[in-house]
Amino acid sequence: MSRFKITGEEFRRSLWWAIPVLIVGLLVSLVIPRPEIGVIQLSDAIYSTTAADLITQITYARQDPNIHAVVLILDSPGGTVVDTEAVYMELARLRETKPVVTWVSGLAASGAYYLSSGTDYIVAVPSSEVGNVGVIGYLPPTPMIFDDTISTGPYKLWGSPRDTTMREIEMIKQGFFQAVTLGRGSRLKIGPDVLLRGQIWPASEAYHYGLVDQLGSESEAYDQAANLAHLWHYTITDLYTASGLGKSADAAAGFFQQTKDGATLPYPSEAGIYMLYIPALPNLEK
Amino acid sequence: MNRKVISIALVVFVLPLLLRLIWFFPGFYSPHTVATPDYANLKLPEAPVSTPQTDQIKQVGGVVIIDNAHSNQFQPGEIQTLVDALGQRGARVELNTDTSKLESQLKYASAYLIFSPYNKYTPGEIQIIQNFIGRGGRMAVFTDPTRGLVIYDSVGTPINNIPDTTEVNPVLEPFGITFHGDYLYNLAENEGNFRNVYFESFGKSDLTWGLKKVVLYGTHSLETDSGLTLLTGNDKTFSSQTDATPNNDSRQGWGAAALDKTGNVLAVGNFTFLTPPYNTVGDNAVFISNIADFLLGGTLKYSLADFPYLFTGTPVDILPTSNVQMTANLIGAVSKFQSSYDATNTEIKIVQDSASARNLIVLGTFSQADDLTKFVKPFNVTMDDANDYVELPGFGQLGKTGNAVLLFSSGDNGNTLVLLADTEDDLITFISNLSSDDLSSCVLQNDVGVCSVGAGKSFSTNTPTPEGTPSGAKPAEATPTGTPTTTPGS
Repeated sequence: MSRFKITGEEFRRSLWWAIPVLIVGLLVSLVIPRPEIGVIQLSDAIYSTTAADLITQITYARQDPNIHAVVLILDSPGGTVVDTEAVYMELARLRETKPVVTWVSGLAASGAYYLSSGTDYIVAVPSSEVGNVGVIGYLPPTPMIFDDTISTGPYKLWGSPRDTTMREIEMIKQGFFQAVTLGRGSRLKIGPDVLLRGQIWPASEAYHYGLVDQLGSESEAYDQAANLAHLWHYTITDLYTASGLGKSADAAAGFFQQTKDGATLPYPSEAGIYMLYIPALPNLEK
Repeated sequence: MNRKVISIALVVFVLPLLLRLIWFFPGFYSPHTVATPDYANLKLPEAPVSTPQTDQIKQVGGVVIIDNAHSNQFQPGEIQTLVDALGQRGARVELNTDTSKLESQLKYASAYLIFSPYNKYTPGEIQIIQNFIGRGGRMAVFTDPTRGLVIYDSVGTPINNIPDTTEVNPVLEPFGITFHGDYLYNLAENEGNFRNVYFESFGKSDLTWGLKKVVLYGTHSLETDSGLTLLTGNDKTFSSQTDATPNNDSRQGWGAAALDKTGNVLAVGNFTFLTPPYNTVGDNAVFISNIADFLLGGTLKYSLADFPYLFTGTPVDILPTSNVQMTANLIGAVSKFQSSYDATNTEIKIVQDSASARNLIVLGTFSQADDLTKFVKPFNVTMDDANDYVELPGFGQLGKTGNAVLLFSSGDNGNTLVLLADTEDDLITFISNLSSDDLSSCVLQNDVGVCSVGAGKSFSTNTPTPEGTPSGAKPAEATPTGTPTTTPGS
């Protein structure tokens, strides 16, 4: 102990060099960047364009060492099966290294809930809508042949038999159910008999079913992301801008049907298989 | 000194770094594996193995009328498997496209089929159907939740759905069966989709013989107060209207098919199961086969007023008794008479022995013959070769000359029509008149009819008159004792 005993003279002399060292240390410490929580926002259906943007942002978040957590802000009715699964699998990769928290700002239905079930924690505005677990699809026509259209097989024109399409939809539903049960684990309080009815619930009710973890605000979602990433202080980074994505065209107009006067309907414009919530429109005829 | 200085310098240098690190990171996130669905092992749900159709099919014949006059929501191809099953049993199918012809078509029909109607049945039509069922005719009513009439607004949004049960329930009401405007579903055990429901609980009936598992591809539920529920869902089968079992009691199951208390009216909440490929799933093929047997298995009660539709289904034998010679003219008349039964899809053939016949037309004259006696005796007809009249209950003494007699009896084993005239020529004339469905020269009383055969060689100007009616009165104006029955078309 006496070896490190410093006299008053020595202390005064050491200040001459210790202060500059401290200043250097302070300056060098600035090299340690303030950790960031990335924000990915989806306020649209999930289709090719939005999915590509989401994957770009997720990939950026995974590769940028300064992004320590991600908050996924959802207000989406879901979308195509293939795009939903593609985003879901990218989210799974991201979660291996960084926590992801969902904040449901308005709607996390069907495919959007599929994505949120693949995150670590779900925060939702109490009146937002959550659920609609399931798949919808449009069966192809019964195979027929035409005079002037030649195909090389009975399903070349139609894709698959109607019955097979029905079973494919059921198989996709099984994957959806697995995703929810894996993601929610023991937090899920309802069984398939309730979950697979495809019902959509207000988040305040979904909370009791274990479909969301917390009713709260956006900032609470950031706090939860920081908590999971073990961050005390952080900044928020918009990953759309950070990842270099420009302003995208309004591709939703192509995904959803539109009326002749330009109104967008909630129905997809193409036949296919979807994880999509199609809300009822107000009855304008009455 | 140097070591001291270096140590202090190091501490002073690192301290800000540590403080900043701690300021930001109280701990570190541990990388971990994230479980995702086992996509590679997801499998398409497969339909249960189909069972073969029953191979012992009886030829019973008959005509089945299919309602196509009430905006019925079906395509012929969708019900072809049932039509084929009826055809395999020798039955013929006719569409009813004009409600004004329903009554006449049901006169010779074995069964009446209704699929998803959207037009109202008038009280008159319902009464005709009730009369048909009351006579022992059979009816099957099929609805299907996929045939709801969807109403769209101007932008194509569905705003209302009128189920196909609305117009058919009044038809079923007299028989104690009611369809619900719902659909059944089962999320736990289903055939590829929640709306494709398994039925493994069956009411005891010929209709459910041989069934272990029936799959209905979207079915309404139904209930019957007095009949028999044929197909009942399990405790996981819910109605779309309640998302629960009946009365929220898991011991109760929703019915999807029922038979009324008379055993003549079948109601099924789905007909997609008739359509390939669903017709061969589970025991659906057996069920379809059973339905075909049911439709042709009724025992219709006829009266003489139903002439010529006194027989349906099984073949009809023509038996000339020993007092009739099958001359060329008589055979010609009989041949013409056969054609009058074309509408009923009834095969008619001449036989020499009635032992195996279920339906029989007996040809005879007013002269006594041993093989004729057993047919006329139940009617208390007295024929004596020494007299020029026969005694006919209700008609009194009927002159043999120029008159002919129809006697009709209906039994569980078949129906018998006895045609009697004075001579073979009169018999030929009589049969020829009947061939044109013409009973206008006849007076009917219950199951006995007396007809003029004025065109015969032994033509008589005396028209037949019931007992107590002055000779010469017009038949239509005659008032026989008992309950008279007017002739068809009169």
